[in-house]
Amino acid sequence: MALRKRVWRTIKENKGRYIGIVILILLGSFYFIAATGIANNLEKMVVGFAEEYRQEDLTFSIDKPIEDIAALEGESGALIEAYRQYDVKVPDGELRLLSSGAKVNIPAVTSGRGLENPADILLDPNFLKMHGLDIGGQIELNGKTFNIVGTMAVPNYVYIIKNLYDVLSTSGFGIGIVSGAEFEAFPEAVTVYAAYFEDRENINAQTIKLHGLLSEKGYSLSEWLDARSNKRVSMPWANISSMKSMSFPVSTAFFLLSCLIVGVMIMRMVKSDGVVIGTLYAQGYRRRELTRHYLAIPILLSAAGGLAGALLALPCVRPVVDSMLTSYILPAKGITFSPLNLALAVLMPVAFIGLSSFLIMRKILKKSAVELMKGDEQKAKVNFIERALRLDRFKFNIKFQIREQVRSVPRLLFLVLGVSAASMILLYGLTYNYSMDVVMEKGALARYLYPLEYNFKEVRNLQQDGGIPEGAEPYNAFRCYPEGRESVEFYLVGTEPDSVGFKMNDMRGNALSRDQVNISYPLASRLKLKEGDTIIIVNKLDGKSYRLTIDGIVEAYGEQFVFMPLDEFNRMTSQPLGSYRTVLSSHEIDFDESLLAGVMDARDPEAYKDLATPTTLIVTSVTALAVLIAVIIIYLVTSLMIDESRNTISLLKVLGYRGKELAKLILNSSMPAVFIGFWLGLPFMLAFGNNISNYVAEMINMVIPMIVNPLYVLVSFVLIFAVYKITKRLSGRKLAKISMSEALKAGTE
Amino acid sequence: MFLSVSNLTKSYNTGIITHVLKGVGLEMERGQIGVILGPSGSGKSTLMNIIGGVDLADGGTVEVDGQRITDLNDNRLVEYRRESVGFVFQFYNLVPNLTVAENIEVVSNISKNPLKTDEVLSAVGLSDKKNRFPRELSGGEQQRVSIARAIVKNPILLLCDEPTGALDLETSRGVLSLIQKVNARFGTTILMITHNSAIAGMAHAVFRLRSGEVAEVKHNSELIPAERIEW
Repeated sequence: MALRKRVWRTIKENKGRYIGIVILILLGSFYFIAATGIANNLEKMVVGFAEEYRQEDLTFSIDKPIEDIAALEGESGALIEAYRQYDVKVPDGELRLLSSGAKVNIPAVTSGRGLENPADILLDPNFLKMHGLDIGGQIELNGKTFNIVGTMAVPNYVYIIKNLYDVLSTSGFGIGIVSGAEFEAFPEAVTVYAAYFEDRENINAQTIKLHGLLSEKGYSLSEWLDARSNKRVSMPWANISSMKSMSFPVSTAFFLLSCLIVGVMIMRMVKSDGVVIGTLYAQGYRRRELTRHYLAIPILLSAAGGLAGALLALPCVRPVVDSMLTSYILPAKGITFSPLNLALAVLMPVAFIGLSSFLIMRKILKKSAVELMKGDEQKAKVNFIERALRLDRFKFNIKFQIREQVRSVPRLLFLVLGVSAASMILLYGLTYNYSMDVVMEKGALARYLYPLEYNFKEVRNLQQDGGIPEGAEPYNAFRCYPEGRESVEFYLVGTEPDSVGFKMNDMRGNALSRDQVNISYPLASRLKLKEGDTIIIVNKLDGKSYRLTIDGIVEAYGEQFVFMPLDEFNRMTSQPLGSYRTVLSSHEIDFDESLLAGVMDARDPEAYKDLATPTTLIVTSVTALAVLIAVIIIYLVTSLMIDESRNTISLLKVLGYRGKELAKLILNSSMPAVFIGFWLGLPFMLAFGNNISNYVAEMINMVIPMIVNPLYVLVSFVLIFAVYKITKRLSGRKLAKISMSEALKAGTE
Repeated sequence: MFLSVSNLTKSYNTGIITHVLKGVGLEMERGQIGVILGPSGSGKSTLMNIIGGVDLADGGTVEVDGQRITDLNDNRLVEYRRESVGFVFQFYNLVPNLTVAENIEVVSNISKNPLKTDEVLSAVGLSDKKNRFPRELSGGEQQRVSIARAIVKNPILLLCDEPTGALDLETSRGVLSLIQKVNARFGTTILMITHNSAIAGMAHAVFRLRSGEVAEVKHNSELIPAERIEW
């Protein structure tokens, strides 16, 4: 069929525009497949491992062994694993020996074989590498020789840190798994318990119940940490959530946006071919034949873009997932892709763009062939805005540019919204990155004026356990949530009225009194609390609730806490006066290490920067993507504008306009739309960002405030305008190619 | 001589070489009205485009008011078009989204010494329609706007390509009469292309083109007023 040849010729004639469309669809499907692929594979690896190998819901230590574990399991509905733990010094490090779990935290062998014979040991792969050991080799621990039979991953040590309250890994530290019998050689080993609730709903309530049962049975708890607060378990979960929160909505929104943009483009192109459609119609072509012909280009382009994007994304997922999981020990799993997502990546643009083309064809073909041949569709009808505009007092160039823009309201909207979308993505990427930086710089770490935090395994008392040295101060805390909103977790902290270890200023920067109840700003805004309001909080450990009245709001970035006077805290929680669990210090203190659950050291904030690496990766890709979208959108609209003004441009050339004058008239006319589009992007970004931030806060209890940096806004503005200038230059060539003969031959009006 | 065309040749190569102009020559005095008659394909439009500086000749010369157009480079041709020549097209070629006054300003915007828009509008009888858009005007009115746009720069040469080709008799008379008035009032030399030999009566010089050559040249000693032209 002759028309088929026209499809390729049409594509060849407007190569630039069609390449732009294909790239836009390609980017959409690429980002969609890459983002969903990364998020799903991360989830599969982290969540799948947790489910398959029964990751603990909480870990605890008590003063004496549980007498009847089976009975307690029956009463609490939890699987309880008692495992042994012993730290052995090795050259240049330390190895924590753990007994192999059978019910909870079951080790997964990642290389070599499992434990079969006496003196077999499995090591974590990082430790093996760090200490130059090999599978098949041996390691001597406290005089006993073990055969290294393989490497493993354990669900409760996905992120290997020595102490529960540490943030960063200790150099040279690792874990090894041996059978329970081997612990006879280590009589000083301690017993730690891990619990896994069989009913996967209401974990908090079940945790409180187990805590109650243990207290009832007379056990005294020295350590009690749920998985959500346990960095060994929760760190990779935070990565999944940040990946999901950052990439998935952005990629889906972008994918839909690119489909929409291309849909509009195709719609306009089909519309502008009205005369040809009318002529073919008059020659006897049936509606369905014409529809089929005009659907060929959009379907071809969208299928090509969708398929290419999906195929290009496939090999990119593995390296990103690997780079995001370098700090974690997880069993290697193959990368898989959801067939549904793959199908969506190709079919969604085809369906979306095909449908918009189909609808516009149907609309066009409702007209008679005569009407179409007259070129009704091409004649620029004067719209209500053009009619209403009175521009007498402006110079001609301004009048012309205004009229050029308002000539097509959908085209103008398309440009404004397209630039807004690109600006929004760009601003979101940079603002997110900046917000993370602010949270790192001014957030939790900057709050510690005393940078060392010693967490004790058991509650201590100022009167009974002796005083605290100069330059240090005690505090007591528990994890809690507001009544009826378990997703919002925070620490209630009791500090002394003369505490200086924490920085605590109000929103105007003035120091707040420590002798009152102060709430951090992110938490207050999340719970919609202001000074004078009352909040009922529930202790996560025992389910007891307390009523607090807010006296002050603390300037904070991302942190969620409530501070109150230590004595009041102890009185409220029925603890003896002077009770504390943590010591905050300006200098190192020589505490007995066996008493400590962990030490947090905020002296070198740079050391925490590695934790933000995945974010930087995402932000870079989002920024590049935004620039590309901006280029494509502005180029597409400008080229569309040039095509729709071909006759006018040609006429102006005949009348004696020079290339530069024409470029100024036609191409500069988009500048206000680009300007408005960019500034609209800012509120759009804030609305989008705050929604995502709220969503993330509910999902992982992490508040990432959207903090706008004027410098980044300026950088984005310059970037968008640079893109506009480059696009103008590219379009200038297209403009120069328009021949004067078009006006001489045409009958436009 | 104000306009002098000598031995002008032009061919197009579209796979097959077509010789459109085969040594055309013509001359006109300043302030005259000239008409080029000829059937389709005779080379009328090509000749006019070369005289107007929108197309290039392969050979021969064109001189307008002592300036050899055929020797000008692209830049000088643009200068020539924006200062010296006015164009009136068969299908008016107005910019559809500009008002009548703005369509005229399209040209005055780039002219060194343009006439006032209101003065030109008054000359073509459209003062009351200056804020209308082209679609809101009749064909005759649109052609008047086209003429106004052409004369606002006060050109020395006005080139009209079938100015009545899309109009009925009565409207055509009005447009031709306007062209005659422009010639009389501003002293503009006018060269008109037409199929319609009835129009020849209003011209000082008539050039009949056939197959790319001037087949006949006729000079009228008496001109017929446009209002009396019949066809």
